[in-house]
Amino acid sequence: MDITFKNVSYTYQPNTPFEHNALKNVSFHIPSGSFIAIIGHTGSGKSTLIQHLNGLLTPTKGEVKIGNYTLSSEKKLREMKELRSKVGVVFQYPEHQLFEETVEKDIAFGPENFGVPTSTIKKRIEEIMPKVGLSNDFLSRSPFELSGGQMRRVAIAGVLATNPSIYVLDEPTAGLDPKGQKEMMDMFYQMHQEEEITTILVTHSMEDALKYADYIIILNQGEKYMEGKPEEVFLRESDIQKVHLQVPESIQFLKKYNEKFGTQLPLTRQSTKEIAAQISRTL
Amino acid sequence: MNPIVEFNNVSFHYGEDGPWILKNCTFSIKGNESVAIIGHNGSGKSTIAKLMNGLLFPQEGEVYINGKLLTEESVWEIRKDVGMVFQNPDNQFVGATVQDDVAFGMENRGIERKEMEIRIEDALEAVKMKEYRLTEPHRLSGGQKQRVAIAGVIAISPKVLILDEATVMLDPKGRTEIMETIGHLQKEKDLSLITITHDLHEVMKVERVIVLNKGEIWATGTPREILKNGSELQKIGLDMPFLIELSQELKDLGVNVLNEPLTTEEMLEELWILHSKM
Repeated sequence: MDITFKNVSYTYQPNTPFEHNALKNVSFHIPSGSFIAIIGHTGSGKSTLIQHLNGLLTPTKGEVKIGNYTLSSEKKLREMKELRSKVGVVFQYPEHQLFEETVEKDIAFGPENFGVPTSTIKKRIEEIMPKVGLSNDFLSRSPFELSGGQMRRVAIAGVLATNPSIYVLDEPTAGLDPKGQKEMMDMFYQMHQEEEITTILVTHSMEDALKYADYIIILNQGEKYMEGKPEEVFLRESDIQKVHLQVPESIQFLKKYNEKFGTQLPLTRQSTKEIAAQISRTL
Repeated sequence: MNPIVEFNNVSFHYGEDGPWILKNCTFSIKGNESVAIIGHNGSGKSTIAKLMNGLLFPQEGEVYINGKLLTEESVWEIRKDVGMVFQNPDNQFVGATVQDDVAFGMENRGIERKEMEIRIEDALEAVKMKEYRLTEPHRLSGGQKQRVAIAGVIAISPKVLILDEATVMLDPKGRTEIMETIGHLQKEKDLSLITITHDLHEVMKVERVIVLNKGEIWATGTPREILKNGSELQKIGLDMPFLIELSQELKDLGVNVLNEPLTTEEMLEELWILHSKM
C-alpha cells in the first residue's frame, strides 16, 4: 500500500492556551514495498506522524492516504478497523503492553479482535514464533516471567499475528543489547525483503538508517527538514549537524579518507569488509 | 589509596534456588576513577549496581563501600556514599520544580536549609541547568531531566555516582548532553563514576572497562585494551567499533595496521604511513 501525506498539519488542543502545532505542512510519498527511516529528535513530530498511519490521529489540515483509505479533517473514515488491521504498529517499549496469562493468548489477542478465525490464528502463531526467534515452548508460559528481550519478541509477534501490510516500528531496538538490536533489525529487514512489506522505521540511529532504509525523512520541530536516499542525505553533513544529528561513522571516515588521499571511494552503504577492500586497492 | 568500591568473591541469585546471576566477582574501584561496566542483556551489570547501594545483598562474598562492609545495618550509611541514576527519566522526578527535585534527597538526609540552597546552586551549575531551577519537570527534555536527576544525586555529595544505562532512552542530543555533564563532573568533583552502558562512545571516555559475560568478569582493562579484541566482544553479544572492525578487515587483506586506531585521525595517520611506504 502506498502512503501519501499531503500538506498535513496537526495541532494538539487547538484554540486553547495549550495549542501546539506538532506537524506543520508535511508532505511526502512512500511507495508500496519500500523501507523508510524517519529520523528526528524528541519533539520533532515523529510520534504524531506515525499515529496518523493507523488513524489514532487524523490531520487537522491536509490529507493522509494509506492505500485506498483517506484520513482528513473533513470526513470520518468508516473503515477505521479495517485500516488498523492492515497497519501493524510496534510502539516504543511494546513489552509494557503485554497483559495476558500466556504468551499464546497475548499473541492471539490482536487477530481475535479483528475477527480472525481461531484455526487461522493458530497457524499464524506457528509461523511467527520461529521468525521472532522464540521456540514453541514459550507459548504456554506467562509473558511476565520472560526476560526483557523475550518480552519484546512476544509483543512484536502479537503485531505480526494481525498480518499487516505495513509495519510501523517506533524505535524497536531501544534498550536491547547490541546483539539483540542486530537480530531484531535483521528480522524486520528479512520480512520486509521476503514479503515486500512496506516498513517505516522511526529511529535515532543513523547507522540503522544507512544500513536498512531505501529512503530517509528527517523531521525537525514538526517540519520536514530533509528527505532523500541515504547516500544523498548523508552528503549534507553540515545540515545534518545543524539539527544535532550525526552522519554514520563509516561515512564520516570515508569522507575524511577521500580528502586526505585524494580518492573517490563511494559514500554508500557498503559493508566494512567492502570498505577495507576499497582502501587496500587505493594504497 | 583505599578503594571506594570493593567486591570480594561476590555471588548473587534471586529467590531460594534461582540460577546464579553473578558468580565469584572480585574487583575494586579507586576514588576518582571512572569505570564502564559493559555486557550483554542479563550479564549481571545492573545486579552489580544494585549490590553497590544495598538494593540487593549478596548470598556469598562481601561488598565494601568506602571501607565499610555492606550489611542490613550499614546500608543507610552506605547509601549516603552511593548515588544512582536510572534509565527512565520520567520515573525519577518527585519535585514540582527542578530545584524541589534536587532538594528532595537532601531533605531526606536532614540537611539544613541554608546549606541546601548552596548545594542546589552548585549541583545545578555542575549540570548546566541553573536557569531552569523553577521550571516544571514536564517542560524539560529527556536529557535535561536526566541532568536534573544527576544534580539531585551529586547534591548529597556521594563518593560514587552510578549511571545505570542512563542514556538509553535519550535522543542523540540528550546523550551528548549527559556525556558532557559527566566529563565535567569527573574533572570538577571528588567522585568515582561507574557507567553501565552498551554505548561504545561512552566506553571510550572512561579510564577502565569491566566486561561481564554470563555473570562473570570476562575482562578488565583500558578502553583500548578491551576494544581491540573486537571480534571476541562480538562473540559475547557486544558491539565492535567501526574502526576496530575496519582494522581487522584490512589486516585480513594484508594491510598491516599496526596499532589499534580508535579515532578516525589515528586510523588515517596509520594508513598514511603505510601509504608512503608502498
